[in-house]
Amino acid sequence: MRRSGWKIAMALSLAAVLLFPLISGAQEKVIKIGALYPMTGRAGLYGLDSVAAMEMAIAEINAKGGAAGYKLDALYTDSKVKPDYAVHVAKRYIEEDKVNFLFGTVSSGVALAVTEVSKQYKKIFIGTDAAATELTVDNLQPYYFRVSNDTFQSMAAGALYLKGMQAKKPWKKIAFIGPDYAYGHSQWNELRYNLDKLGVKYEVVGEHWPKLAQPDYTPFITTILNQKPDILVAGFWGGDTVAFIKQALPYGLFDKMLYFHPDAGGNYELMSAMGDELPNGLILGARHYNNWPETEGNKAFVDDFHKHTGRYPSYCAEAAYEGIYAIAKAVEKVGNPDDTEALVKAFEGMKLKMPEDPDGFTSYIDPASHQIVQVQAIGVTEPNDKFPPAKKMLGQWKVFKAEDLMPPKDFIEAHTKK
Amino acid sequence: MDPQFLLIQATSGFTMAMILFLVASGLTLLFGVVNVFNFAHGSFYMIGAYLAYTCVSVLGFNFWASLVLAGLGAGVFGMLMESIFLRRIYGRAEEAGFQILLTYSFILIIDDLVKLVWGTEYKSISRPPGFSGAVELFGVLVPTYNLAIIALGLIVAVAAWLLLSRTRAGRIARATAIDREMLSTLGVNVPLTLTVVFGVATALGGLAGALAAPLRSVTPGAGIEVIIDSLIVVVLGGMGNFWGAFLGAIILGEVNAFAVAFVADWASLFSFIVMIVVLIFKPQGLFSPAKVRKA
Repeated sequence: MRRSGWKIAMALSLAAVLLFPLISGAQEKVIKIGALYPMTGRAGLYGLDSVAAMEMAIAEINAKGGAAGYKLDALYTDSKVKPDYAVHVAKRYIEEDKVNFLFGTVSSGVALAVTEVSKQYKKIFIGTDAAATELTVDNLQPYYFRVSNDTFQSMAAGALYLKGMQAKKPWKKIAFIGPDYAYGHSQWNELRYNLDKLGVKYEVVGEHWPKLAQPDYTPFITTILNQKPDILVAGFWGGDTVAFIKQALPYGLFDKMLYFHPDAGGNYELMSAMGDELPNGLILGARHYNNWPETEGNKAFVDDFHKHTGRYPSYCAEAAYEGIYAIAKAVEKVGNPDDTEALVKAFEGMKLKMPEDPDGFTSYIDPASHQIVQVQAIGVTEPNDKFPPAKKMLGQWKVFKAEDLMPPKDFIEAHTKK
Repeated sequence: MDPQFLLIQATSGFTMAMILFLVASGLTLLFGVVNVFNFAHGSFYMIGAYLAYTCVSVLGFNFWASLVLAGLGAGVFGMLMESIFLRRIYGRAEEAGFQILLTYSFILIIDDLVKLVWGTEYKSISRPPGFSGAVELFGVLVPTYNLAIIALGLIVAVAAWLLLSRTRAGRIARATAIDREMLSTLGVNVPLTLTVVFGVATALGGLAGALAAPLRSVTPGAGIEVIIDSLIVVVLGGMGNFWGAFLGAIILGEVNAFAVAFVADWASLFSFIVMIVVLIFKPQGLFSPAKVRKA
């Protein structure tokens, strides 16, 4: 008995060894995507939502036979939000796993490091979130493409919003609070650049730079109240928005000034975390909204995501989803995932009908900056319980034309001269 | 300069200080009193915040009862960690180094456990009923919930001081920092003492996390963010003294409050400058009681 069992095991393993090349041979036509997202710590939410959206898109495309006969396959690694570690993983993806595309990143610090690897190895890197304008301006390289908007676009929309408001309800004094690193500083610089360009007159009464993940904002809140701005511009990231709003509420800050947070304030996780506590009348923006535009495409995306994960997506999921479609589209056009230069040409100018596109507009990748050109909307918090656990969502939308939001020549020149 | 604004900032600083003190109190108890360094202290703060979230938002318990449950839960978890893992490295030649490595690894483990149990979405709980507004004291607006935190901070400070200096249990706990061998020769169950002190310290951490939850967003990784400030508080105050940590927290809170108001561009640097200056002139911290120092 024992001997025959052993023989069967031998035979089976021999068969497996012999059959293996056949099995893998059958699956040879694969587009390999090496994804880097944070999966732990406070950015983990964004990484896991992005991965879930990628998997959705991959399953959809593969179910329809893949792209140009190739199936999509992705590898996922925790970036740990550490640029040096992410560089190590990106190189491993290219050298050992032989990926065709690098994909992802939430943190701009990580993206700025990985884009250098992409440049060095001539491997296309699809950026789905990291919002630093530098990626498509100062540090642009031929193999980087971004399918989500950058801070410049949010701030250009923000400046147009503020200008429109000034005509109706005059405001003059403005203060800023945002994290003390590149993300916070570029938001504030880009907003002022756009306000100045639009000829808006304003007076800055305060600039505040808490550290990222500052636990306690009390001294900032009392200082801002003392400066009495008409508008408080916020550039917080992630859960910091929740902490600031919760701590400012008992001081009545939101009755005394307008809270204006155009880049990441309108993220769904803020609504879901705060429920009823979120005040009405905050003016917020995000890269994707679960309730705008009310198109079939957006509804289908949001509902599918909810069906897959049991939760509504944060803003970052949509670009991760669409980034996969962009890859499929490029490979479809070129016919294979290996001709990098032809793929670059395919991405340049590519039109992508994204969930966030309102009817009558299709996002496209600007051939010069490799940056996706998109409509931006900014909304105001109001009661809405259609996306539980959120009790408030954005509404009263103002929508800004895509072409008005791209960095103009003089901005790009000033940033690329160095 | 408007004197009213100075008073407002001073109050902000004090409010900030009380939360700092509460978060740091467990670390002070361990690091300062029994000389065990728990790098994962912030993770117990995080566990407390998540437990409070479950009790309040999922199970619908009363907020104040949830605070107690969150503290107890964190304490039980702390005792398990101490008795299963930390106990094995006591008395080793490089005990301090092992403590840092082992407790640091628990930061990562607890972060992942939290992610498995509660997911990565931001959680948040509302302030308890009756504590969502603010009152005016001498013309200064103070949120009522912050007043509750100040009261609790004072209670913890006084209770810990009484317990440590006026009771036999407190004296035994302090003695473990000096000579564990002698203590056990005298018939004290040293391992049990350390486990209990560890439980109390992690319970304090959990309580602080639960208390801070209505003011912050509860996320994985929240623990690592409070550990540095807590360390500054403990080091500023000097080892082995709760009042030292109390004073350290007030200094840190006030320095922050006025730095934010007057040197906005450099505000986050100032807490470190203060720590460096204190350590240059008083390397043992502000309150370093000679009798508790090791010979």
